[in-house]
Amino acid sequence: MTHLGHYPEGSRHLLMGNEAIVRGALEAGVRMAAGYPGTPSSEIIENLAAISKDPSLHLYVEWSVNEKVALEVASSASFAGLKTMAVMKQPGLNVAADYLLHLSGSGVRGAMVLVSADDPGALSSVNEGETRHYAKLMEIPLLEPGDFQEAKDMTRWAFELSDAIRNVVLVRTVTRLSHASGTVIMGRVPENDKQAFFKHDGFIIDPNEGVVMSPPVEYKHGEQHRKLKQAESLFENSPFNTYTGPDTPELLIITSSICSLYSREAVHMLGLESRVGILKIGTTYPLPRQLMKKHMAACDRIFFVEEVLPFLEEEVKIIAAECAADIGVKTFFGKKNGSLPMVGEMNPDKVIAALSKIMDTAMPQRDAAYAARAGAVAFGGSPHREATFCPGCPHRASFFTLNTALSMDNRNGFVCGDIGCYSMGVLPAGFSTLKTLHAMGSGTGVASGFGKLSKFGMDQPVLSVCGDSTFFHSAMPPLVNAIHNSSDMTLVVLDNSGTAMTGFQPHPGIERDAMGDTAATIDIPAVCRAMGAEVRVCDPFDLHHSRETLLELIGRKGVSVLVLKQGCALSPEKKSSRRYDMRVDETICAGESCGCNRMCTRVFACPGLVWDKEKTKARIDDVTCAGCGFCADICPRGAIVKKEVA
Amino acid sequence: MPILGSTELFDDVHKKDLCVDCGACVGLCPYFVSHNGKIARLFPCTLPQGRCFAHCPKTEVDLNRLSTWMFGSEYDLSALGAVTDIRKAKAGPAMTDRGMFQNGGTVSALLTLGFRSGRITAAALTSRKGLTPEPVLAESEEAVLACSGSKYMASPTLSTVMKESASGSTRRMAVVGTACQMTALAQMRMNPLEREDFRDPVALSIGLFCTWALDTRKLKHLLKDHMDLDSIVSMDVPPPPAQVMTFNTSSGTVDIPLSDIRPLIPKGCGICPDMTAEFADVSVGALEGEPGWNTLIVRTARGAEWVEDAAAQGFLILEAMPEASLANLKTGALGKKKKALLRAKEDNCLNVAPEAGRSALVIDPERVESLLT
Ligand SMILES: Cc1cc2nc3c(=O)[nH]c(=O)nc-3n(C[C@H](O)[C@H](O)[C@H](O)COP(=O)(O)OP(=O)(O)OC[C@H]3O[C@@H](n4cnc5c(N)ncnc54)[C@H](O)[C@@H]3O)c2cc1C
Ligand code: SF4
Ligand code: SF4
Ligand code: SF4
Ligand code: SF4
Repeated sequence: MTHLGHYPEGSRHLLMGNEAIVRGALEAGVRMAAGYPGTPSSEIIENLAAISKDPSLHLYVEWSVNEKVALEVASSASFAGLKTMAVMKQPGLNVAADYLLHLSGSGVRGAMVLVSADDPGALSSVNEGETRHYAKLMEIPLLEPGDFQEAKDMTRWAFELSDAIRNVVLVRTVTRLSHASGTVIMGRVPENDKQAFFKHDGFIIDPNEGVVMSPPVEYKHGEQHRKLKQAESLFENSPFNTYTGPDTPELLIITSSICSLYSREAVHMLGLESRVGILKIGTTYPLPRQLMKKHMAACDRIFFVEEVLPFLEEEVKIIAAECAADIGVKTFFGKKNGSLPMVGEMNPDKVIAALSKIMDTAMPQRDAAYAARAGAVAFGGSPHREATFCPGCPHRASFFTLNTALSMDNRNGFVCGDIGCYSMGVLPAGFSTLKTLHAMGSGTGVASGFGKLSKFGMDQPVLSVCGDSTFFHSAMPPLVNAIHNSSDMTLVVLDNSGTAMTGFQPHPGIERDAMGDTAATIDIPAVCRAMGAEVRVCDPFDLHHSRETLLELIGRKGVSVLVLKQGCALSPEKKSSRRYDMRVDETICAGESCGCNRMCTRVFACPGLVWDKEKTKARIDDVTCAGCGFCADICPRGAIVKKEVA
Repeated sequence: MPILGSTELFDDVHKKDLCVDCGACVGLCPYFVSHNGKIARLFPCTLPQGRCFAHCPKTEVDLNRLSTWMFGSEYDLSALGAVTDIRKAKAGPAMTDRGMFQNGGTVSALLTLGFRSGRITAAALTSRKGLTPEPVLAESEEAVLACSGSKYMASPTLSTVMKESASGSTRRMAVVGTACQMTALAQMRMNPLEREDFRDPVALSIGLFCTWALDTRKLKHLLKDHMDLDSIVSMDVPPPPAQVMTFNTSSGTVDIPLSDIRPLIPKGCGICPDMTAEFADVSVGALEGEPGWNTLIVRTARGAEWVEDAAAQGFLILEAMPEASLANLKTGALGKKKKALLRAKEDNCLNVAPEAGRSALVIDPERVESLLT
């Protein structure tokens, strides 16, 4: 991956969608990139960071504290005349949206691309938010690559477009494009070393030398529309919009992004190549009206294949209504009429089912013997496994502490959560401890409000959790809010020293930045103390100390913070080391009998502990156990023995 | 009576708010713990039968079975239960070191003899941090004196006994507790699950007379506006006509009207028919009108032996029980029985037919009827 900047022009390489985006940006001559980690977008900044030290590439790359700041940081380079990029997952775009509205109003100078990655089906998310509507809302152009080559080419062209219209261009990718790989033919990486300079002394509304701002609003907004029109006219002849199929198809599929591949597969599987045409749109907003009109004129039945929401469908329907006099009345199939489901990830099977119904053709049947065999293998071959924390994960220990402390406190206390590995606190893996789960930092904001409800007779202890990265991202403002408004709540910072969920990207608490340079660190307990909270720091692997401390804190009025600090079990520093050698003393283990009933394997359930059915005793799985030592504290008999590794 | 598991215990006792915090389900396993005057279940346990349910004084307690096992006589709902002797008692001259005895110091004297004579090496007692009662495993005469004085709050005292027993320790201990705690302790000593690894660690059980034991959290809540909880030195419930509870603090005495105190009585105390801790080797209470003395009831042979030795060695002074006090004690004890059985009937937790649910108490229905009519 570190060769991404040096693959020669014309060479072919297998690239992940996110790598293709990186290469496209390099071919465009990007100078700065900023983002906040979030699946499926993280590899873009990661790859750029990995090659950022290459002097020939002239790059500055950073993990910003959150997506709004990332967008702000990236835009500065544009204001100084450089090509720049901001990268985030879709929920992060919501965070950045406030600035984006201003930025799209002010316009940019150096070309600026905003890459937003959607996760249809919420494979690694807690929602399946849509990027595409933002293009309309913010009145900026939107490009949607449909394959790996396009991921590179369209990213590169997005910079050209931005340069032409002097505004931000939005590029939307999805998990199946970002995280899958395909062959990409390289273009040229230009050599240039442009100087940054911010001109600000010109006439106040001069786009090149004036003040960068969205007022005077009517004028700037008008400019923005002019730019959007300009983009639309460029889109009319864009090579990223392609049509395959007969001249006058019986059905026209209009599709974009990775759904274009599903559509092709469906048409092929049903043998409908001579009857169904596919119009693949790469320039989704604003839609090129003439192009759409031309294709709709040739066919009266139109089927939209897209994910997640019916964005194309609605945009096309507006054009169809406005052009009805010229192109006639159309029949539409898609999400709106129930041909395809409104929610969840799209896949070829769904498209095949809908298409066979619309075209009244039989679905291809799978060979019955094969189907039976496949079913049997799939059923018997893979044991059912719940999502769970890794062996030695400090979050399991922390949630055990939180959960048991709240039970002991016995006042129906609860924990408000947000996004991170620790979101699994809603599951049995985290003893079902989280009772609300929303956006980054939201647990603390919600808790801040709950903590004021004593006025209405609520006497339940209120807690929130956030990770260390989330603390900086968006938990600080709600914490300030709680303190200022005299809320009664306890924030538990699950500090595992890195943005673990997305692959250990650094954050402001880490003494290393995205490019690997030494960085100033911000001390979470000190920040909380300075804000005015009562603060304690414990090691989550010390059950008794952590629990006593938490019980003390939730017994108090006002805002308190408990930092449970312990590195992630998979962190590079910890991964192959063990603190303790563990074993179960079978002569003491009470197993299933009254007195234990398998506390370790039934309740705590670290994968490092296994239940030996024959011996009816617990056992440590030496291969899996990470040697954290915590389970020794939960065994009522002291049967789990830990020995410090020499 | 059926022995069930923690799910039923949780449903029948915790959810119905009948738990009296005795501690008999605590310390046996990882699931029941006590914190700040309340018992919590940390996680559900799936066992169909368990010691938690078997020990609990509020789940299917068959008083006749218990009486037969402990005294060889039926539970007849008589005022004071099985009695071999009743005396007026107080600590004797051999008790050179004195604690803050609640009354005559009889309890502390019996315990001191136990340690001095080597009958026991430990005692499950109750100390206090602020207003939170703390179970203590006393291992010396000094520790006994440090625990003297009554804490009128429900205390998970038995948790230390359960922990000792569950850990397979072989030492001999005395246990001091209220009536419900003595019931639970006796049930535990019966080895209800017939475990092979069971060993009864109890050398002497000393019951305390009890009308009620307050909810710790509620009491704290009430008192925190009246005094510094850490300054409380001792507390007492003076006999009628005084309608107050008295708290002696380092900065003076505070009286709280009983009308404020009564709402803090746990619901579980309301169905307890036992005022004199009937399922103990000996039971000790105040003696009406004579503050420096105790009422001492001897119930078992080993209790009698212990008391006699204590008197012989000067740890105890024994005198005849005044007739009038005895009569009043019986009236009071019977009064508690009637009230509790009426309440238990009302709450539908006395002698419930198996098909209709589960009982807290099981007592010969004919005897119940004759007492109540
Ligand atoms: C909650 C409660 C209610 C009582 N109600 C009555 C009553 O209504 N009528 C009556 O005559 N007597 C009652 N007593 C008993 C009385 O208060 C004395 O404990 C008893 O007379 C023994 O006096 P002593 O001087 O021998 O005790 P001491 O020698 O002072 O020893 C007291 C012993 O009591 C134990 N103890 C203290 N608090 C508790 C507790 N909460 N749970 C379990 N053990 C404890 C200590 O471990 C200590 O060993 C009650 C006691 C308690 C704890
Ligand atoms: S918690 Fe301890 S006693 Fe219970 S099964 Fe596990 S090792 Fe055995
Ligand atoms: S020491 Fe125990 S809790 Fe830690 S990883 Fe090993 S088995 Fe799991
Ligand atoms: S005492 Fe036994 S049955 Fe009850 S919760 Fe504990 S292990 Fe389960
Ligand atoms: S009354 Fe005693 S045994 Fe029963 S649940 Fe409460 S503490 Fe446990």
